[in-house]
Amino acid sequence: MPEPLVARSALRAHVAPVVTASVEPGVTLRERSGLTLATVSALGGRDAELADAVRSAFGLELPTTPKRVAAGEAAFVWAGPGKWLATSTGAADFASLPAGVSDQSDGRTVLSVSGPLARETLATLIAVDLHPRAFAAGDVALTHAASIAVHLWRVDDEAAFELAVFRSYAATLWRWLVHAGAARNIDARLDG
Amino acid sequence: MRIACPHCGTRGLDEFAYLGDATVVRPDPSAENAETAFVEYVYLRDNPAGRHRELWSHALGCQSWLVVTRDVRTHAIESVENARDVATARDQGAGQ
Repeated sequence: MPEPLVARSALRAHVAPVVTASVEPGVTLRERSGLTLATVSALGGRDAELADAVRSAFGLELPTTPKRVAAGEAAFVWAGPGKWLATSTGAADFASLPAGVSDQSDGRTVLSVSGPLARETLATLIAVDLHPRAFAAGDVALTHAASIAVHLWRVDDEAAFELAVFRSYAATLWRWLVHAGAARNIDARLDG
Repeated sequence: MRIACPHCGTRGLDEFAYLGDATVVRPDPSAENAETAFVEYVYLRDNPAGRHRELWSHALGCQSWLVVTRDVRTHAIESVENARDVATARDQGAGQ
């Protein structure tokens, strides 16, 4: 009998939890599990049609600059000219959009980095200025963290960031972040 | 050197990959002197000490192709354009 396919975290087999005892964590690292992810690429000359479809299906204005827009379960993260990463905490249907849509739910891992020292921790790995003056809520950057390509966005005005990374790099990036947070009382845990 | 990507903003050289001379144009393969023209197109490059137009890719960023005009002696960057816009303008006869 064939083994049923089960979605598994890219991290579970590779990382041990790091929990700082009895002190307030400076930075908290978690995996955003159970997300639906898809890359959405506008078809040649059909950008306006895609923007209309996203507006009517999700009530969102597709950003054309490095921004993230979110409403309810769904969000669209700018990923380059004419490209977006669509995310949903539910089971959103991105496949019906008039665009090149490729499911990435098992292809990328999304990490959440938050807490008062989150920016300081990320700054040890990322050269982009993450000060709220330069990188506000909803801002997006495509860059690298310790030479690993990352898709980074600021979730809100609090120090809360999310990073999407190719699945096979997730464990390495996790270890880099744990190392960077070691002197900042990091609390890094996989749920469940 | 820092390159001002028209999409992402100014980023360090570590995010970019150099992809060659942006001034060469693929010759017409059906032309009579195509063989000579292709030898020049594939192998022969000017090596100017000064202003140069180069193709760069924002490889660890938005993955756009860019045409960077810079002085190779001082690394001073004159302009950064979308390679697609440059090619479109050239195809329409606007030239460089």
